Amino acid sequence: MSELIGFLIRHSKWLVFTFYVVISCMLLFKDDPYRQHVYITSAGRLASTAYKGANNVTSYFNLHDINDDLNRRNAQLQAEIESLKEEIQELHEMGFNDTLVPDSGVPHFEFIVAHVISNSIAHPYNYLTINKGSADGVRPELGVIDQNGVVGIVSNTGPHSARVISLLNPHFRLSCKIKRSDYFGSLVWTGDNPMEASLEELPRHTVFKQGDTIVTSGYSAVFPAGLPVGVVLDEDTDKSSDFFTLRVGLFADFTRLGNVQIVINNRAEELRKLKEGEENDSKKNPFGQ
Amino acid sequence: MTKFFIKYAIFFLLTMPAQAIIFNHAILFNVAVPLVFIWLIIMLPVTVGVNLSVTLGFFAGFLLDIFSDTPGVNALCCTVLAFARKPILHLYVSMDDDLAGRSPSAQSMGHGPFMKYLSTMVLLYCTMVFTVEAFQFFSFRLLVLRILASTAYTFVLLYAFDSIARSRRESYN
Repeated sequence: MSELIGFLIRHSKWLVFTFYVVISCMLLFKDDPYRQHVYITSAGRLASTAYKGANNVTSYFNLHDINDDLNRRNAQLQAEIESLKEEIQELHEMGFNDTLVPDSGVPHFEFIVAHVISNSIAHPYNYLTINKGSADGVRPELGVIDQNGVVGIVSNTGPHSARVISLLNPHFRLSCKIKRSDYFGSLVWTGDNPMEASLEELPRHTVFKQGDTIVTSGYSAVFPAGLPVGVVLDEDTDKSSDFFTLRVGLFADFTRLGNVQIVINNRAEELRKLKEGEENDSKKNPFGQ
Repeated sequence: MTKFFIKYAIFFLLTMPAQAIIFNHAILFNVAVPLVFIWLIIMLPVTVGVNLSVTLGFFAGFLLDIFSDTPGVNALCCTVLAFARKPILHLYVSMDDDLAGRSPSAQSMGHGPFMKYLSTMVLLYCTMVFTVEAFQFFSFRLLVLRILASTAYTFVLLYAFDSIARSRRESYN
């Protein structure tokens, strides 16, 4: 026994070293960002409190740029309101107002405004932290956008902060389409440039031009259809594949994110149930007979 | 020694938030990240045992991982760096007596050996961190660029910190 203890003491540095390496590797290889405990993410109390404190100071630095963005967005929305007003007017004039079925009253999408308190762009897997959490109605798997375009998706929530998987993270694939032609594919970050991503899995007969706008497809319950994402830069030149890949310049400027909005889809639950029903049906009846 | 550990604890509590809030975001050209918090491992006197230095290294790395959402990356690399600290120090300083319990610095080691020790430690750390991060996401050109740019950036900052600390020490004496 005393020899064993002597042996352990003699080699304690190797034991301690191995112990820490094993713990680190366990943390490192736990791959799924949704399964991490909130306390070891930046949405935990320790990190979010520090980031909020720092953000109280630094949030003033970019106000000029943020103001410019908001003014631009305001002008766009104003234009949109005007065109919608015209459309409503036309519909009224056509006498459709009597025959239109009123909606259920619950708005389809609602938005929570939050502030980015921490953000990274230099890692291969980037995350950001926002100052709203479960107490404010934020849940995992909600979409996050800013005034320019799609930003990411919520992965973990603390009571007053949440961690968001950035679009600059290969864990996040976003279903998008080319606005002009409606061909859809999957947008994923390429890992080197925070201003670019690639739109993959497009069919080979896709029609596109440089400068075409890429918008969300709306095929998932997370983002509404038609949110701006980016613009086509050029084609990736891998001819061997069955699919096209396009290089996309992103609209959201990840180097200076300020205010963001969290998208709540009030019909997400309904869609999820429908999808589950579909899966159960196909399990019962694998050949669809 | 107690005095040193009180100083070290204060230093630890100042360095970690500074790294997380300031230096993690002071990235140059999208590639060079200043990882100055490894100063916490580099500055440990040679008399501090391996068990203690590895523990301090692990917790410093783990804390930074929480802040920067890189679970395990910095914890693993800091553990290895803390373990390799003594052998690396002995590459450039032959006897423990030369340092006599003081922190490695340009003053205690001399400029040449300290620069070699500092650059080896920083290069080792940057190589480990960016290689571990690049596991599933490999671009060799980007990896080498990140390692070299971050090593240079961190080295310059740490050498500057050491010079500032030295001039303060001298003005006290």
